[in-house]
Amino acid sequence: MKRTGKIGLALSTPYILYALTFVVFPLFFSVYLIFHRWDGMSTPTWIGLKNVARLVNDELFYQSILNTLLFLVINIPLQIFLALIFAVGLNSIKFLRGFFRAVYFMPVVVSGVVVTIVWLQLYSYDNGILNNLLTMVGLPRVAWLVSPSMAMPSIALMATWKNVGLYTVLFLAGLQGIPAEFYEAATIDGASFARKFLRITVPLLGPTMTLVVILSTINGFSLFVEPFVMTGGGPLNATLSSVLYIYNQAFSFGHLGYASALGFVFAVIILLAVLVQRRVLETE
Amino acid sequence: MKKTLSAVLKYFFLTAFAVGFLYPFLWMLSGSFKPDFDVMKLGLFSSHFTLFNYDLVFGRIPILRAFLNSLIVAMSVTATVIVFGSMVGYALAKIKWKGAGTLTVFLLFTMTLPFQLTLIPLYTMVVKFGITDNLLGLILPNMLTAVSVIMFRQFFVTIPDSLIEAARIDGCGELRVIFNVVVPLSKPAVVTVGIITFLTSWNDVLWPLIVIRNRYLMTLPQLITVFVLGGQAESHLGAELAASVLLAVPILVIYSFFQRYFIQSFVSSGVKG
Amino acid sequence: MLSLLAVMLTGCSGSSERSGKNTGKIELTYWAAPNPQEIDLAEVLVKKWNKLHPDIFVRMQPLPVNRSTEEVLMAAIAARTTPDVCSNIWPGSVPEYARDGALVRLSSFPDFDSLASTRVGMNYMEQFRSADSNFYQIPWKANPLMMIYNKALFKKAGIGTPPLTYSEFLADARKLTYSSRNDGVIDHWMGYRDIRPVWWQRFFDFFALYKAASYGKAFTKNGQVVADTQAVREVFGFFAKCFKHDYFPRTVFSYDPFLEGVVATEFVGPWTISYIRSNYGGRLNFGIAPIPVPDGHVGPVDTYGDHKCMVIFSTTKHPKASWEFMKFLLSEKADLDLLEIASQLPVRKDLLTTKEFAGFFNDHPDLKLFAEEAPYAHEVDQTPDQKEIFDAISQEFEKCSVYNVVGPSKATRELVRNVKVLLDWDE
Repeated sequence: MKRTGKIGLALSTPYILYALTFVVFPLFFSVYLIFHRWDGMSTPTWIGLKNVARLVNDELFYQSILNTLLFLVINIPLQIFLALIFAVGLNSIKFLRGFFRAVYFMPVVVSGVVVTIVWLQLYSYDNGILNNLLTMVGLPRVAWLVSPSMAMPSIALMATWKNVGLYTVLFLAGLQGIPAEFYEAATIDGASFARKFLRITVPLLGPTMTLVVILSTINGFSLFVEPFVMTGGGPLNATLSSVLYIYNQAFSFGHLGYASALGFVFAVIILLAVLVQRRVLETE
Repeated sequence: MKKTLSAVLKYFFLTAFAVGFLYPFLWMLSGSFKPDFDVMKLGLFSSHFTLFNYDLVFGRIPILRAFLNSLIVAMSVTATVIVFGSMVGYALAKIKWKGAGTLTVFLLFTMTLPFQLTLIPLYTMVVKFGITDNLLGLILPNMLTAVSVIMFRQFFVTIPDSLIEAARIDGCGELRVIFNVVVPLSKPAVVTVGIITFLTSWNDVLWPLIVIRNRYLMTLPQLITVFVLGGQAESHLGAELAASVLLAVPILVIYSFFQRYFIQSFVSSGVKG
Repeated sequence: MLSLLAVMLTGCSGSSERSGKNTGKIELTYWAAPNPQEIDLAEVLVKKWNKLHPDIFVRMQPLPVNRSTEEVLMAAIAARTTPDVCSNIWPGSVPEYARDGALVRLSSFPDFDSLASTRVGMNYMEQFRSADSNFYQIPWKANPLMMIYNKALFKKAGIGTPPLTYSEFLADARKLTYSSRNDGVIDHWMGYRDIRPVWWQRFFDFFALYKAASYGKAFTKNGQVVADTQAVREVFGFFAKCFKHDYFPRTVFSYDPFLEGVVATEFVGPWTISYIRSNYGGRLNFGIAPIPVPDGHVGPVDTYGDHKCMVIFSTTKHPKASWEFMKFLLSEKADLDLLEIASQLPVRKDLLTTKEFAGFFNDHPDLKLFAEEAPYAHEVDQTPDQKEIFDAISQEFEKCSVYNVVGPSKATRELVRNVKVLLDWDE
């Protein structure tokens, strides 16, 4: 028993050392920084609750949360809706299924930088492909990234395009786990396709649904490259994401203490959001 | 009759979306070979084929160096995550010791921590260690992940104890048991952890932007972000697209050969994580 | 193998470190701006120096490129890896660097005053004086902002001379903003500004025009907002009209619209002129005028100078040698190289009177116009948190001028209030 204890500890040492240095210590240090002003160059100075007071009155802090919520409200339903359709569609065919699945999944593996650069051009107001298509069919152009009310929805749309493949394959795996007998029995009872979909497919995909919602939420709060490259957080701060705001405060303005306080509060919000989602979705 | 009609509709619909997913990539690829005035056109073919954009990219930024940096970082991180992750996973799955339960709980706890929490403190650590502007600054903080340990643990639990006992009787030490018996039996877990870790590292931009300032040490996605934002592309659209192509192609080539493994990895890591 | 790995991991710095084997010799590191012309210039100057001074070896490194020089320097200061001398310092960052003890006090060198007064002139130097009344920086070059205009477009619209005041600018804008295909989709504009809320973009629109409108008044001083609010209102209002009537497009172009001939004017420094000359040759017929001012403005037009300064970092082991090298970079001969190689203007009071430079300005009449504007070029205030102050300006500029959601008076009030909060925060 004692020997195995030593072996277990020895094998775990790399992780323990790693976790102490790169998880536990930063965790405590983040709390320390909340109460300090620090530009990263000089020594930190104690300022009590000034960072917190500032945060409570910081319009941009609230704005960045609202932006993330807007992103999620568009991104999550759209993603689930499309991924479900794709998954059901792919599940019902045999020929070329692997090909379609691979194509839909492609944006998932590609760097967000690539996706962002390409979509920045697709979204271009004056000569972007999307607006060219719209004017071709006689519709007015859309100010995708330059209109304050459209910018975040545009980013959410792009994020859906990038990630829907992942959720499609997750749903597809879920669908393949549903026994065929369920559908056969329902068909004998004379159930329509829609009824089968709503009564069998959707409930049995529940756990996958929860997963998709939680992954999308975490993803939404991690938004960075997209606004960083496409909009710089504008117009009118409409695409200022929480991580971009932390980045700006820390590395543009040199307020590491305040940025750390922001990070702390955002982390708490994310944890709460995920907890609430778990509760709600799992009891349903 | 009704059946064929619905099949045709289904394929039409799936193909339409497939075009929606493929077209932007094809447009990027073709745009990178077009002169600027042709880039914004819908068609994929231009009568003015040019390599100017690639010339510009290779002339302006050390892109090969960045490719190498990305490769060094992603490979090192993947290697350490697999080696150390499987060691710890084994200790938790196959060795009965007092700390195992606590450690597992701790691992699950750290998995719930959003990275926003430790981003700034982690940066200050890297500064303290003097590894800003150093690839170690990208490797060390990512050399292990809680998810990988848990995934290895889950998989190792399914390996029969008798195999491990047999190896021990043959005189294998624990490390040899892990790397000669357990890990070879766990290819799916290794592939999953390997692919996810490699991709995460390869595609990361935020952390390199924070840690690396020297352009010769930048990773590929970072260098390209800086290239596009920093104005070195001098608004040459084609050059921006050429840079994106260079960033996307390595992963897409690997993906086209091993897409099955990629997808499987994401599914299993998603479901388990 | 291990050393190979070490070199791989830390890049090129490893190899250059080893070259200093000759003992007793002083070695200095000099960071220059990373653009090609300035790297060429720095290489020429350093070569000359090393030839003249075998006992003080200078190694030039281009500043590591990132989004902004300030981010790089901040990281270098934190990691104590700053060079001895750097010539690409934005004056707005000097208050923080000085406060953190990262800079050598230049005014502690006995011959600093004489150099500053003969080269720059003490009046002009004042705007680079730190709050503790010392000098930590000396201005090296300036890029005074002016307006270039597309002569062909102006001629086509029947306008003979460039606009000087806001009313003239807006009147011309009505004629120069149009749809060339007559389909209602505007594709030619009076001007263009990058509307993304990036703080330093505001140097090149709001701040330059503020300096012109206020006759060069400061924005903040001794922890107080001292801005000329009338001028702030006028500038906000002027740009609000430009965007409201689509004279400036609310878009981000993926190309330079002035060079493509779709916008008629642009606010630029001399660096753009040399860029156009080398890339667009004779294809673009342009003229240069001062930036627009409110109606009723009298006298010369003040503007933003976009200065870059030189500093010595306190990590240096050889402050005296660094100072000698800096004086060399600021000498008349080096300044001629600056003009000829990089086409940028040294900050000198005798720029147009010295015989040395006369030949250059005869060959470059465009740059001479900028040189004439140089005495009226201003810099941001020497108070901390300039980036955040400009971010606050950017916020109001966006709200009021670009998207017209608040009026100029309200934007001015909000700006003053927000800047006050920033200044108080720093107490």
